[in-house]
Amino acid sequence: MEWVIFGFLGTWLILSALGTVFVKNPIHVILFFLSALLAMSAIFLSLGAELLAGIQLIIYAVAIVVFYVLAITTIPWEKIKRFEGVYKNELFVASPILLLLFIFMSYMVLEGEFAKPSGTVEDNVRELGKELFTSYLFPFEVASVILLVAMIGAIVLGRKEE
Amino acid sequence: MEEILYSLAFTLVKVLVVFLVALGVGAYLTWFERKLAGHIQNRLGPNVVGPFGLLQPLADALKLATKESIIPRGADKPVYYMAVIMALVPSILLLALIPWGPPFRLGDTYVKPIISDVNIALLLAFAFGSLSVYGTIFSGWASNSKYAFIGSLRKAAVVIAYEVVLGFSVLGVVLLAGTLSTVGIVEAQVQRGVWFIVYQPVAFFLYLYCMLAESGRVPFDIQEAEAELVTGYNVEYGGLKFGAFPLAEWYINVIALSAIAVVLFLGGWSGPPILGPLSPYFWFILKTFGLVFFTIWLHWTLPRFQAKDITEIAWKILLPIAILNVIVTAFFVYFF
Repeated sequence: MEWVIFGFLGTWLILSALGTVFVKNPIHVILFFLSALLAMSAIFLSLGAELLAGIQLIIYAVAIVVFYVLAITTIPWEKIKRFEGVYKNELFVASPILLLLFIFMSYMVLEGEFAKPSGTVEDNVRELGKELFTSYLFPFEVASVILLVAMIGAIVLGRKEE
Repeated sequence: MEEILYSLAFTLVKVLVVFLVALGVGAYLTWFERKLAGHIQNRLGPNVVGPFGLLQPLADALKLATKESIIPRGADKPVYYMAVIMALVPSILLLALIPWGPPFRLGDTYVKPIISDVNIALLLAFAFGSLSVYGTIFSGWASNSKYAFIGSLRKAAVVIAYEVVLGFSVLGVVLLAGTLSTVGIVEAQVQRGVWFIVYQPVAFFLYLYCMLAESGRVPFDIQEAEAELVTGYNVEYGGLKFGAFPLAEWYINVIALSAIAVVLFLGGWSGPPILGPLSPYFWFILKTFGLVFFTIWLHWTLPRFQAKDITEIAWKILLPIAILNVIVTAFFVYFF
């Protein structure tokens, strides 16, 4: 039963990721991207990581993608550069690196550190909150400051000079 | 294996019941809304089809179903059709998170009158509530019409602003209840014997504002402002496709958000047992209906805000109040 669900969600995720890369119309791309995010959140949910699933939905699928959609729908695409073929040099440089990364990550997932079960957690919302605000408080706060700086920067760049 | 199949079948039954009842109630709310609007404006409302016009929703559905299906030239067809689904599905999914009554025993099984009792129900509720914005945006974009597109952009701006306020306004309740599960929040209120509206009156009013904004009701219905935008994002849709948008946004979404307001602030199913075992359901539905009535009542009473006022109210007034409310609540929860 578990494998049926995982197979379905995995296929969904891979198909939407391929669609995101290969489809040409920008609106269809963002729709495939949205579908990939939904599939990802469904996988989290099926693995029992409810909080991650919820945050994936509310932050990525809603808050962030809405801004992408707003930007993409208002840009006049007729005036933008068209598709001009596959970038060959970049492809040759990138593919061995990606292959290495993939092998490394598969090893981690199948044999290495990630493969070990981390013990059962009863209420992962509570546990995650505790971890985040005790063990990982400093990185968490640093991340929030970085986001704040980025936000102020965006406002400064975006406002008109008077 | 048998147990899984059994629970699957049981869930399917619950889904079917909630789905069909919600669609039926959604359809009949159109009748109720028109009747109420008629009386507010000193008219009679629908009264020709059937007694008291009770068959009017069926007549409307028949009329919509027999309309010719017109698609504007230059429309993006797959997105155009998908937008209808993207508008309907999140609103219906919201109903899966609502606990209609307390858990009870049926024979030797333990029955929960809620479709999915997840421990992050509240997060999911806000996620679904805001996912419905994609239906609006893409319907406006795919119809290749300026009116529709302006309407959808306005809606997107409103939803982004009010989603933030909504999240912060509810945090107070989450702090008090100590859980994100809808069942847990109601049980926390039943245990204390106090509805959270007593502790969180400010949050309740903020929630009402956000509920009206997210469901596109007056005074926040700038995305369909009839006088300037015809009807906004759904202007290029016809037939039952047109019917789906108001059904999702104005009726099912309002029912679901009202029910969540009842869960959060009005004690869910709690109330004096006047109907025996059925009284929890009675109280839940009565409270939900009260809020739906309030929404419709406002719709036919107030004028609408300007587009820029709505987002300014959200960011400059409501959000600071919401954050202040969270801080004060956290202070009280920690020290008392």
